[in-house]
Amino acid sequence: MLISCNKLKSHIKNPEDIDWLNIWDTFTLRTAEVEGVEVKGNSFDNVVVAEIMECIPHPDSDHMHVLKVDCGDGEPIQVVCGAPNVRVGLKTAYVKVGGHIGGLEIKARPLRGILSNGMCCSGRELGISDNHEGILDLPTDWINGTDIKEYLPIEDIVVEIDNKSLTNRPDLWGHYGIAREICAITNHELLPLDILEIANDSEDLDIVIKDDNLCYRYTGLKIENIKNNKTPMDMQIFLYYVGMRSISLLVDLTNYLMMELGEPMHAFDARVVKNIEVGLARDGDTYTTLDGEERKLTSDMLMIKNGDKYFGIAGVMGGLDSEILSDTTSVFLESACFNAASIRRTAASLGLRTEASARYEKSLDPNMTDLAIKRLAYLLKLENPDMHIASNLTDVYPRVLKESTITLDKKTLSLYMGRTLEDDMVVNILEKLGFKVNVERDYYDITVPTFRATKDIKIKEDIIEEIARIYGLENFTPVPLKLDLTITEHETIYNQEYEAKNLLATKFDMNEVHSYIWYDTNLLKELNIEKKNVRILGKESNNILRDDLSLSLMNIVSLNFKNYSKFSIFEIGTIIENNQNKRVLSLILTDNEKCLEEAYNKAKNIVKYLFKVLKHKEVTFTSNINEQSYYDESLGKIINVDNTKIGTLNVLNKTCTNKLGKKKCIVTVDIDFDKYVLLEKEPILAKEISKYPEVELDYTIITNNRKYDYIKEVLSSFPSKLIKNYRLVEVYENKYLIRYTLGSSNKTLEQKDLQTFQERFIKHIKDHNLMIVE
Amino acid sequence: MMEEKLMKLKQELEEKLESATKEADVLNIKSLYVGKKSEISGILASLKDMSIEDKKKYGSLINNTKKEMETLVAERLEALENKSNITFDDTVDFDVETGSMHPVTILTKEITDSLKRMGFTVVLGPEMESEYYNFEALNVPKDHPARDMQDTYFLDNGMLLRTQTSDNQIHAMENYGAPLRICAPGRVFRNEDLDANHENTFYQIEGMVIDKGVTIENLLYVMQNLLKEVFHEDVRVRLRPGFFPFTEPSYEMDMSCLICGGKGCPTCKNSGWIEMVGSGMVHPNVLRAGGIDPDEYTGFAFGFGLTRLAMMKYKINDIRVLNSGDIRYLREFNID
Repeated sequence: MLISCNKLKSHIKNPEDIDWLNIWDTFTLRTAEVEGVEVKGNSFDNVVVAEIMECIPHPDSDHMHVLKVDCGDGEPIQVVCGAPNVRVGLKTAYVKVGGHIGGLEIKARPLRGILSNGMCCSGRELGISDNHEGILDLPTDWINGTDIKEYLPIEDIVVEIDNKSLTNRPDLWGHYGIAREICAITNHELLPLDILEIANDSEDLDIVIKDDNLCYRYTGLKIENIKNNKTPMDMQIFLYYVGMRSISLLVDLTNYLMMELGEPMHAFDARVVKNIEVGLARDGDTYTTLDGEERKLTSDMLMIKNGDKYFGIAGVMGGLDSEILSDTTSVFLESACFNAASIRRTAASLGLRTEASARYEKSLDPNMTDLAIKRLAYLLKLENPDMHIASNLTDVYPRVLKESTITLDKKTLSLYMGRTLEDDMVVNILEKLGFKVNVERDYYDITVPTFRATKDIKIKEDIIEEIARIYGLENFTPVPLKLDLTITEHETIYNQEYEAKNLLATKFDMNEVHSYIWYDTNLLKELNIEKKNVRILGKESNNILRDDLSLSLMNIVSLNFKNYSKFSIFEIGTIIENNQNKRVLSLILTDNEKCLEEAYNKAKNIVKYLFKVLKHKEVTFTSNINEQSYYDESLGKIINVDNTKIGTLNVLNKTCTNKLGKKKCIVTVDIDFDKYVLLEKEPILAKEISKYPEVELDYTIITNNRKYDYIKEVLSSFPSKLIKNYRLVEVYENKYLIRYTLGSSNKTLEQKDLQTFQERFIKHIKDHNLMIVE
Repeated sequence: MMEEKLMKLKQELEEKLESATKEADVLNIKSLYVGKKSEISGILASLKDMSIEDKKKYGSLINNTKKEMETLVAERLEALENKSNITFDDTVDFDVETGSMHPVTILTKEITDSLKRMGFTVVLGPEMESEYYNFEALNVPKDHPARDMQDTYFLDNGMLLRTQTSDNQIHAMENYGAPLRICAPGRVFRNEDLDANHENTFYQIEGMVIDKGVTIENLLYVMQNLLKEVFHEDVRVRLRPGFFPFTEPSYEMDMSCLICGGKGCPTCKNSGWIEMVGSGMVHPNVLRAGGIDPDEYTGFAFGFGLTRLAMMKYKINDIRVLNSGDIRYLREFNID
C-alpha cells in the first residue's frame, strides 16, 4: 500500500517535529514492513505559473503553436508548444530556461526554426498525473510567476508498505490509521477528522439487510444538487501518488475516503436507485461488473440489489448501470461493512481482487461507516457549497459492535516483557494507539477500540504485543535459557536416520536424494503401472501418494541414466500405506545389464553391513513371491531380522527397466524404517579368546544343480566341536570356496585331529550329493 | 708413519664406499677393509708385538680407526637399504569417488547439533497430517486463508499434507508435557507452482520451549547463536512485529544480510536485513490444545525454512535442484 506523508501530516499536530524521511525504519520495527520510500517532486525546478497572452499557429507545423507567455518577469516570453489545448488566457505550468525537468536542463532552442524559450508542461511531465493529452490547466486566480510547488503539494514522500504485513491490521488500510501509529511511535497527537453532521430531519432511505451474518451494517445517504464534479488538483495529486486514477469528484471522493479511513465506499447515481437490498445471489445467475466482464454467480455470493435487479457484488465491485455519469447531480452514498470471509471467498472464486475486497477481507470496523459518509459529505460540500442533503443518514445496523475490555495483570506483562514498565509508559502507549486504560494497583482495565477489536485484539497477550512493539523490540537483548539438567527425551528416530544416511554415503559411496511424496503419474503410465492409494484432491496429475518408495524414485533413476552408466542412490522418506505414514529406507543400485549379479550381491552386502554395524544383527534373505508385477518374479527376497520381515530386495523387471535405461539393471531395497528404529541393538559381550592357536582350512565345493542355500544347509548340518566358524569366501561359476576356522579350547590341534575332521567333512559333503576338491 | 697409514686406509675406504651402489659391493668392501683378513685387522693383530711405548702410542688410535671404519660401512649399508628403488609412478593422482548426503540433511544435522547443545530434543512428525494438528489445534480459524485449497493439499481420506512443521508443537506437548524443549525438522507441502524460488515440497524446522518464565529474550539468544554457528559469522538478528495465529505476541525475526554484511544490497532489497524466522510466544489457545495451563507456563516457538537456509548457505540458486535427485548437483555434498 502506498502512503503519502503529506496526507499523514494533515492528521498530526506539529508534524514538522517528525523526520519524515527516516521515521520509516522505525515504523518497520514497530508496526509493519516498509518496502520503499520515494521522494516526490524533486525531478524538476523553476516551474512557475504562466499565462498564455498570445497564441498563433506555427507556420511550419500542423499542430504546434507559438505562444507569448507571462511568467511574472514583465516582458512576455516566446515559447513553442505542441499541446492541443493552448489558448489565450490559459494558465499553465512553465519551465524557465535553465530550469530542469526529469533531470534535463531546459535550454532556449529553435523548434522548426522558431526560438522556444522554455517549455509548457503536462501533468505527466511533472510526474503528478498520467495525463499527457495537454498542458496543465491551472486555476485562473493563481499568480503568474509563482513556483508551482507553492500551490500544489508536489513535494511529498511516498512510502510503500508491505500489504502482507498488514493482514491482521484492518485499521492500517487507510492513512488515518497509519497516522495514529506514527503518533504512538513519535509521541504526537492525532487530530480529529472534519465531518459534516447530518440533521436527520428528512426521510429514511429504503435499505434492507437480508442476511446480517454477512452484512453487518449498511449506511446510506442521498445528496442532491451537486454541480461541481471537478476534483481539486491537490486531491488529484494525492490520489495519483497513492496509485489511484482521478476520474470525477464523486468517484475520487469515495477512493479518497478509502485511502484516508480504509472504508470502501460507493457512489451510485441516485436517479437509478429505487430500494437497496443486501442478500445472496441465485446460483447460476450472471452479472456484468463495472469492468465490463460478465460474472457467473453462486448462491454464497453476497449481492447489493436495487429493485429486483443486481446492483453490485457486495464489497467487491459495482455494476455499469449505477455508474456516475457526466450529468449526475444527485448521488446515493453507500458505506457498508461485510463479513470478511464471505468477501474473500467471493473475490477468490471470481478471481476479482479489488481495493475494496482487499480491505473488507481484513475485517473492517463496522463503526466506521457513518463517519466515512459524514467525512465524504464534508469534503463534497467544500466543492459544492449549495449541495442539498436529501435523506436521513439511514443506518441499518442490526447488531452493534460495542467496545470490549481486557484485564491485563502487571505480573504477566512483566513476565512477557522480561522487565517491569512504569504505569505512565503503558498508559501512554495504549492511549496513543486508541485504547482507554484504567490503572489499578495490580492490573490494567483496557478498553479496546472497535477498529482493533474486529481482528487482532482479543486477549491480554494481544495487548502485550502492542506494548512490546511500541516500547521497542530492539530493546530486547538475548538471554540464555536457564536449563535444569534433567535428561531430555531420546531422539531415536532422527539419530538413527542420520546414522544410516551417513553410513550409506561414506562407506558405500551412495548419493542421498529427496523425492516427492506422490508418484510421477506420467512415469506410472509409461511403465504401465496402476496404483491405488490416497489421492490429493483437486489435482489432475502427480496426485497419487506413493506406497512404494523405490518405485517413486524411478524418475530420478531415469534422469541419472542420462549422465551415468551406473550409480547408487538412497532416500529415507515417507510413504502412505493403509492410510498410515510409514518411514522407509530405499536403496537403489544400478549397473549395466550384465553386471546384475554384482549389483544384486552388493545390495545384499550393504543391507547386511547396515544391520551388523548399526544394530549388531544378522540379516537373512528368504525367497519372496512378488505381489508387485513390476519387479522380477524370481529374484525378489524378503529381508529378515530376528526371523521377522523388515524389508524387501527386488530387481525391477526387464520391461520397466528397458523404459528407464537400455541394457541396464536396477536393484532396489526397501527397509521398513519404523520397524528398524524399534529394533533393539543386540548387546555386545566380550568373547574369550582361546589360548590355543586356531587353524584355517579352505574347501572348494562344487555343485552342478544346487544353489548356495542348499550348500549352507549341508554345512550347517555337519557336526564338529572343532568348528569355530566358517564362511563363504568366493564364488566362481559353480565353485564355492568355504573357509573353516578350527580350534579347541583345551589343546593345540594336532595333524591327526585335522585329518579326522577332513575325512568326515568330505564324506558329509559327498553324502549330500555335492562335490569337493580334495 | 702409523698415523698416515691409518688415515690413508680410512680415506681409501670412504672413497670405495662412496662409489659402491649395491649392497653386495659394500659387503665386499667390508670384508676387504674391516674383515678378518683386512689390513687394519693385521695392524691390530701386530699390536701385541709392539713395544710398550708403541702400544701406548698407537693402541687406542688403531682401535678407534677400526671402529670408525666399521661405522662407515654400517652407515653405507643402512643408507643403501633405505634408498627405495622406485618401480612405479609415484606422481599418479586418482580422483576419489565419494557418496553424498543431501544438503538439507547436512544443514539439519548442523542445526540440530547446535540446538541439542542448548538442551533441545529432536523429534520428527508425520507428513500426512490431520486437519486438527495442522490447523485447528494451532489456533488457525476455519476461515483462515491458509486453509484454502489453493495453499493446502487436502487428501481424499480426510487428511492433508502438512503445510508447516508447527504440528509438532501439539504432538510434543501431548507426548512430553511441560516443561518442554524440542526442535522438529521436517518436510512440508504447499500447493505452489514450481520455479527457481518456489517448491511445493520443502523443509522447515520448528522449535518450541515451554517452561516457567520463558521470554522472547530467550528466543533471541537461541536464534542468534544458532545462526552464528550455521554461518560461522557474526550474524545479528532483530525482531519485528509479525502475525501468526499460533503465537501471541508474534515476531518476525530478521538476520543481518550475509551478502553485504548489513550495509544494503539487492539481495536484502537495500535494507541490510533478511527475513528469516517466524516466531513468538506460544498462544494460550495452543498451550491449552496441548494440555498445558497457560497461567502456569509460557513458551516460545519458532519456525524457519531449512531449504531456504540451505540455499543461502550453499549458494544454490535454483530450488528445484534439491528435489531433482540429479547426482551431478548432489554429489558435491560429501562433507559430513
